[in-house]
Amino acid sequence: MDFAANLTLSALGQQILVGLSRTTILFIVASGLSLVLGVLRIPNLAHGSLYMIGAFVTYSVAMALGGGAFGFWLALIVAPVLVAAVSFAVERGIFRHLYDREHLMLLLFTFSLTLVFNDMVKLIWGADYRSLSPPEVLKGFVTIFGLPFPRYNLFLLMLGPVVALGLWWLTNRTKIGKIARAAAVDREMVGAVGINVSRVFSSVFVIGCFLAGLGGALVAPTQNITQGMDHAIIIETFLIIIVGGLGNIWGALLGALIFGLTDSVGILICPQFAIVFPYAAVVTVLLVRPKGLLKSTW
Amino acid sequence: MKKVVLIAGMLALICSSAWAKAIKVGIVDCYSGPASTYTNDVRDGFKLYVDQVNGAGGVLGTPIEFTTRDSKFKVDLGLREAKELIMREGVDILMGTINSALALALADLSAKEKIPFFSTFSKSAKITGEKGNRYVFGMNENTTMAGKAAAVGLAQKPYVKYWIAGDDYEYGHAIAEGVWDNLKKLKPEVELLGQSWWKVGEPDFTPYITAMLAAKPDAVIIATGGRDCVPFLKAAQATGFNQKVPFFMHTATELSTLMPLGQEAPENVIGTSNYFFYYPETAENKSFVESFQSAYGRPPKVGAMYGYVTAKFIVEGYKKAGKVDTEKLIDALEDMTVDSPVGPLTMRGGDHQVMFPMFMGITQKVPEYDFLKASDIVTIPGDQVMPSMDEIKAARGQ
Repeated sequence: MDFAANLTLSALGQQILVGLSRTTILFIVASGLSLVLGVLRIPNLAHGSLYMIGAFVTYSVAMALGGGAFGFWLALIVAPVLVAAVSFAVERGIFRHLYDREHLMLLLFTFSLTLVFNDMVKLIWGADYRSLSPPEVLKGFVTIFGLPFPRYNLFLLMLGPVVALGLWWLTNRTKIGKIARAAAVDREMVGAVGINVSRVFSSVFVIGCFLAGLGGALVAPTQNITQGMDHAIIIETFLIIIVGGLGNIWGALLGALIFGLTDSVGILICPQFAIVFPYAAVVTVLLVRPKGLLKSTW
Repeated sequence: MKKVVLIAGMLALICSSAWAKAIKVGIVDCYSGPASTYTNDVRDGFKLYVDQVNGAGGVLGTPIEFTTRDSKFKVDLGLREAKELIMREGVDILMGTINSALALALADLSAKEKIPFFSTFSKSAKITGEKGNRYVFGMNENTTMAGKAAAVGLAQKPYVKYWIAGDDYEYGHAIAEGVWDNLKKLKPEVELLGQSWWKVGEPDFTPYITAMLAAKPDAVIIATGGRDCVPFLKAAQATGFNQKVPFFMHTATELSTLMPLGQEAPENVIGTSNYFFYYPETAENKSFVESFQSAYGRPPKVGAMYGYVTAKFIVEGYKKAGKVDTEKLIDALEDMTVDSPVGPLTMRGGDHQVMFPMFMGITQKVPEYDFLKASDIVTIPGDQVMPSMDEIKAARGQ
């Protein structure tokens, strides 16, 4: 009944657009996670915490500058940079000494980092949730396919391809990107040809964490900024990169598309059980291709 | 001789301490995290009335003392604190809590310990329903009452095709069922186009809203509560949901929901609440708001009303009982009516539930506040929102 009542072409188109805007956030966060996992071999559980910190910093910066448009745009830049700075300190201070350890140790270490970051957020911002408004130009909605579509989602929709292109350029057209890709495949060989692998690792880690911060900053005006937003995103992004192929950035894009679209279209087609759809899609993909859709670097 | 003096002295000591013994109220509630927005008001409203009474010499010459314990929204911690309040502090009365699971546990504890428990803010209908007992008193509306009130209000509106959406957990389903079952009874021609259920803490409501808009219902019932209200209303504003389809959300008009959103809150949202500081515009309410404002520097929210009314029932109950005695207090409270800022309130004898009226209003921008207020308020009297005593008896298996 729900199916027939709801499924018109314009509604479907609208729902796909909404799904794609959600995909943008998921892709940004997941690509950062995938980058770090692929190159450094660190399954960084603290990635979600960095995303949360990005959102909280965005709130604080925007509010400190009066809550207007200028504050918001500046916060979009400041928050990811600050998150990147935190991750740089963590990488240089601690991770650098742990690369030789086995995965389980690294996993445990990143888990302990999530606890530290969570308590840090609680200390700085307290347990209350925060709410931020988008700048005036991105408030309200435009009409697409005869249905209202939030301007902020439109902004996300346009930002998605920009970030994807930027990442493509970074990994394919820059020296550091090429080295990083090479290091992902064979890190000893890269070291053997005289490249400072440690510095490459550091840069890649910082870029990956920058993306987590950017995702958090972008999501800030659309939801409650609160403790616990790290758990939700880390589960989703891990599923996404597993589906896409571990360490493969295009896999992250594909996984994010699958996750975002099954979620939003599922809500249209069968809203009562919509929560199930993205997870069912993940299970289906993994049954058919247990190693993920694209080539894993592992 | 010495022994006699000693015994006499001890007797005198015991007597004097008995004379000075205050009525002790122990409040267990969550005072940390987001819930404190609601619970601080309960405590402050309670204190306001208790201070007035103590200033005038107490109840029957006995002062009222109260202590608070932070349950941190944890059932085991709250239960432990309640037991400690009973055993170590020797409280006469227990009060709290916003956490339904803890409130239900305290309802059981109160029956076992024979200590009255005044349940404030938890919305579970089970507290005075199937878990109700002689020692439990429900001091606020619950999901059944909210559902009935919404149905009475919505039945008067011209909407026929409905959509239901909400949090996929007990509160969400309980509210939605409450509204829908009663609405169908009052207005049989209503039709349910479909339902959507999201997880608690859903990060993005946009796809849910666009899907609902595509179904073109006349009105939507949103069964979401607590902290999800604010982002939902934000998403409603961003998608223009409130301009396209009228929707009902139980707590949408409450100050705790509307104040954090400021001018960003959507207009035209239908909500129900037990109390607004600006309504009813009676002398009683105005003087309550004034004294609360001067004591705490902020207007009272719905929780303040619950705390204030609870204190009043306790005080009037003891007065009517004529003695500081638990069993006599309970007998006195049954079917007792007290005056309150929202008019006279009666404690129904059969299930110990205060018959709070419900106010249904629509959010609207107004020049006098920097947040939205409820307008076009319709009062749904307490007796119309209460579950019948037959329903209560059936729930209790009597």
